[in-house]
Amino acid sequence: MLTYTLLAGLLFGLYFTLIGLGLNLVFGVMRIVNLAHGDFLMLGAFLAFWLFSLFAINPIPTIPVAFIVFLLVGFPLYYLIVPRLLRAKDPEMLSFILFFGLSQVIQALATILWGTSERSIPGGQLGRAVAAILSFVTGRTVENGPVDIFGQSFPAAWVASGIASGIGVLLVYWYLYRTKLGYLTRAVMVSRDEAIASGIDVDRISAIAFGFGLGLAAVAGVFAPFLLGSITPAMGAEVTITSFAVIVIGSLGNPLGTLLGGLVYGISYMFMQSYYSSWANLLPYLLLIAVLLLRPSGLLGRQTRRA
Amino acid sequence: MFGKVRLGLSIALLLSIFGAAYAAEAPKEIKLGTLYASSGRFASISMPVHYGLKLWIEQKNAEGGVFIKAFNKKIPITLVAYDDQSNTATAATLFNQLITQDKVDLLVSDSGSVLTSVGVPIARDNKMFLFDQTGTGSAFFTPDNPYIALMSDPVSSVWPKPLADFITHDGKSLGIKRVAMLYSTNDFTGTQATAVRKFIKEAGTDVEFVYDQGIPTDTTNYAVLINNIRAANPDAVIHLGYAPNDIAFIHSLEDGGVNFKFLFCIYPGLETELLEKNLGVKPLNYIFTYVTSSEIEYEPNFGMKLKEYKELWNKKYAGGNVEFGFNSVAGYNTGLVIEKALSVAESLEQLEIRKAVFSLSGKLKTLDGTFELDANGAQLGMSTPIGQISVDDHGHIKFVTVWPHDVANGKPVYPRP
Repeated sequence: MLTYTLLAGLLFGLYFTLIGLGLNLVFGVMRIVNLAHGDFLMLGAFLAFWLFSLFAINPIPTIPVAFIVFLLVGFPLYYLIVPRLLRAKDPEMLSFILFFGLSQVIQALATILWGTSERSIPGGQLGRAVAAILSFVTGRTVENGPVDIFGQSFPAAWVASGIASGIGVLLVYWYLYRTKLGYLTRAVMVSRDEAIASGIDVDRISAIAFGFGLGLAAVAGVFAPFLLGSITPAMGAEVTITSFAVIVIGSLGNPLGTLLGGLVYGISYMFMQSYYSSWANLLPYLLLIAVLLLRPSGLLGRQTRRA
Repeated sequence: MFGKVRLGLSIALLLSIFGAAYAAEAPKEIKLGTLYASSGRFASISMPVHYGLKLWIEQKNAEGGVFIKAFNKKIPITLVAYDDQSNTATAATLFNQLITQDKVDLLVSDSGSVLTSVGVPIARDNKMFLFDQTGTGSAFFTPDNPYIALMSDPVSSVWPKPLADFITHDGKSLGIKRVAMLYSTNDFTGTQATAVRKFIKEAGTDVEFVYDQGIPTDTTNYAVLINNIRAANPDAVIHLGYAPNDIAFIHSLEDGGVNFKFLFCIYPGLETELLEKNLGVKPLNYIFTYVTSSEIEYEPNFGMKLKEYKELWNKKYAGGNVEFGFNSVAGYNTGLVIEKALSVAESLEQLEIRKAVFSLSGKLKTLDGTFELDANGAQLGMSTPIGQISVDDHGHIKFVTVWPHDVANGKPVYPRP
């Protein structure tokens, strides 16, 4: 039971890492809080749902589609909203209000379009794709169904989301530390003003980071029907709050902190479910309060936010 | 002397004229105030109830209104409805607004116990009678509160009795001794869990609870919980939650390849279409559930039959995003109870409305079953037998009623294949 709880916590934590990564990237680069982050995740989830419902497209190929679509959506949305916001006296605080409004608009439109009821994708769909991939990689036939990890059986969707999350973390690190764009992005993260003074096209860099953040949210959304049971247009707010707690626990603006925050959250949540199940949903808030009291800059926080 | 008599007669005549005029001064409209949740956790059980009630209002208004005995005429109904977004704090504010600002004549709750719970004390404090649509929490119905009555569903302290009886009677021959129960900690399923425990204990059999845990209502992740239940090696698993809980729970079972020998969930019977859309039919096969009025054809003595109503619903909401299910029936049933009560109430005073509603107890039969209240307004009728889902060769869901025996139409399949 202990091993299962720990492993489930790791996988669940990795999923919340994936959710938090985009939110943290946007905050790190622009110093704004995208309160509509969970709503973009919801849109990604509905994209996967509709592609499956209408065209029987498996959620696995939907992952790159969702990432690219939302990456592209991010560019015009950035230029429409963010530069104006950053010219304000207190963009960090104003971003709360603006993105809260955007969240409400997205939620209302989604409700009009898709109704209020829960929607989901049968779990076997993802399992089938995972089995096919594992069969291809290992060269032997892998049955569709749960995946064994250290003798413990987990839904294929959990393993797939864990892998996707790992890829997401590596992708963010590769982008930040192995590409020229990432080098420039880190410059903006350290000091926007100095980056402008150095001749960096800050808006272009920020727009890419914004699109990247939305793309990661949409990818997390593809897994939502499996990890969160079902999806509704109203699910975004709760997801945003939890992922915000995750990135604050880890450290705002630090992708590695998001990984740590996600794992701390996931493992603690699963242990709470096992031993104090009635109180499990209080956990993100308890962790958030504890971290803010004991280490206000987050578990991996420094006095100056690192890039 | 003659002058005094003439004066007296004149006064009597004037009084009778104005008195009659006053008594006959009927309002132009009857304001019906209610709440609904267009988003959030309870939207999927709230919107069908709201649509059902709206359907009744539209139907009555098309006929010129609802007949009010107090004015001996039909009066149109004006619906004043606000969206509480599944939020209890918002619901509390809006209940107050309906009573104090809109001054509604009839107060109808949102669907479910969680959103009804905040309305109960507000209605009582304002001396407004609350038509509780589906809020079955037993704490709502107390001797000191005459301002409430439950329209549909048996009160949760009574509702699960058939389930407990099935386990302690038929379960014995099936070999069910070890029971695991997972429930959401809210007025609805929390009360049901308490009732299941009580009824099983009272039966005095050797059935024991090997797992008994409460979880927050907004739980979406069940993998660890299911693993813990499995570790307890139960013969039967009872999961008591709202529709999103059931979807996530069954989804998790399916994804994890876990098959319990006996599984009971509430919503496969209440919102079958919704669960089928989310999960497909295979994961629902052999699940035990309540068989509700959206599946059983009751013989009503007032209002239309289930088949007619379903046709009307499908015509009205064809292609919509709200599925037909028990809650759709419940909303319409509320309208029927209101209609019948207004046809016998002597006035629109709130306690007179209560008296009229209570006078229907045991007599009114709608498409939802027999309306029967206890002294505190808790519903004792509208019972739901225990059934098991059976998927036929064409992939259609059917309900095999297994308990009580007098209404059973089949035998339970145990263990689940």
